[in-house]
Amino acid sequence: MLLTEQQQYTEPELVTALKKHDNKAYRYLYLHYRGSLFNVITQLVTDTETANDILQDVFVTIWKNIDKYDPGKGRLFTWLHTLTRNTTINSTRAKNFKVHNQNESLTDVVYNIGEKNGLEQQINQIGLRKQVHLLRDDYKNVLELSYYNGFTQEEVAKVLDIPVGTVKTRLRNALIELRKQFV
Amino acid sequence: MSDKDYISSGIIEQYVLGLCTPEEEAELEQLRKVDAAFNEAIINFEIQFENEMMRYASMPGAATDNKILEQIDSLKPTPVVPISIGKAKIIRYNWLRPVAAAAILVLGTSVVFNYILYSKNKKQQQELVNRNTTPVTLPVADYNILKDPAITPVAMYGVGYHAICRCTMFWDKKTGKVYIMIHHLPKSSSEQDYQLWANVDGKPVSVGIINDVIRDRFIEMSNMPAGATSFIVTLEKAGGTTVPTEDEIYLKGTI
Repeated sequence: MLLTEQQQYTEPELVTALKKHDNKAYRYLYLHYRGSLFNVITQLVTDTETANDILQDVFVTIWKNIDKYDPGKGRLFTWLHTLTRNTTINSTRAKNFKVHNQNESLTDVVYNIGEKNGLEQQINQIGLRKQVHLLRDDYKNVLELSYYNGFTQEEVAKVLDIPVGTVKTRLRNALIELRKQFV
Repeated sequence: MSDKDYISSGIIEQYVLGLCTPEEEAELEQLRKVDAAFNEAIINFEIQFENEMMRYASMPGAATDNKILEQIDSLKPTPVVPISIGKAKIIRYNWLRPVAAAAILVLGTSVVFNYILYSKNKKQQQELVNRNTTPVTLPVADYNILKDPAITPVAMYGVGYHAICRCTMFWDKKTGKVYIMIHHLPKSSSEQDYQLWANVDGKPVSVGIINDVIRDRFIEMSNMPAGATSFIVTLEKAGGTTVPTEDEIYLKGTI
């Protein structure tokens, strides 16, 4: 009974109800999007308990910040996806920071994040990250650093020791190739 | 770079995935306001990306569902705690300190260079905006549909799991004709057809089968009953049915 969807919404109806902090609309939002957003989280975090906590944080953050969502700048899912990715990256960075030595170099941190989070396990899951790992190495590396670790283009350039312009080109080419794998 | 080349340069994918710099993001937000084709390309990729991510959905456990739903039910509006989405800077920690000194040096030497690039970029951005202010042209017949003041536009939005579907219907109340523009609707199989229904006095009345083979042009249908107040599109067996299947409602719209 708890999981029953009581009402169906169009996207504009849903956004209006969310902005009014209608609890039923948030219940619908959760039931409708939890699967895809949970997958975004589990691509970055393997510990189930942590992933569950982040999912909860995400929905509380949506509640608190829905006023910031502007439908004119993109679809609801695009906003939810970015919010989820940012929340997850911030959360994993905070955790890694608490556990590990602050004097690690930028490069060490980047490559250790994968090991610490069980990167192999995440790649083997079905999802976007598996598709990313089908790309050629130079594309894959840029996407790993920018999309999965939240590094700016300048930081990626620094880590890979390549010009920012090259990062930009590789990132865009990588995304074009990635899109070709979409259904 | 031509408009078409720019659209297919990967910048749209970068934007939707939240991987643009603040400068790139500002440029794209400006451009999508003045260039319909560019805006449509962004929406198309947003829909494709959303579909892709929905395909990979993995569910949390029932205990998590219950815990979060109970919290959602207990939430009350509180003063807003501002965060920046999309433009948000990911939190930086002290491990950046070892490289901070070097970064400051690099930053110092690059200020002048960046200023030159910025000026050049502003100029190019303005040129880009100027280049894209040419109005989008429609075939004359289609344009006449849009400009007729007697025609009522009705936005049709996707329902439930078909939230990404979208079309716009233009209803000529004088003739009973409707013109449907499909923005996004999955192709129906050979065994199925989309059927348009009008709600008249609380009862569904079939308007007819939507020929979804026709894309990028208006689909003309007649027989729209007078007095209709809302509309749905369902996916039915080929040829349509006499009663709409409630579980197969794809779109709905209200005047």
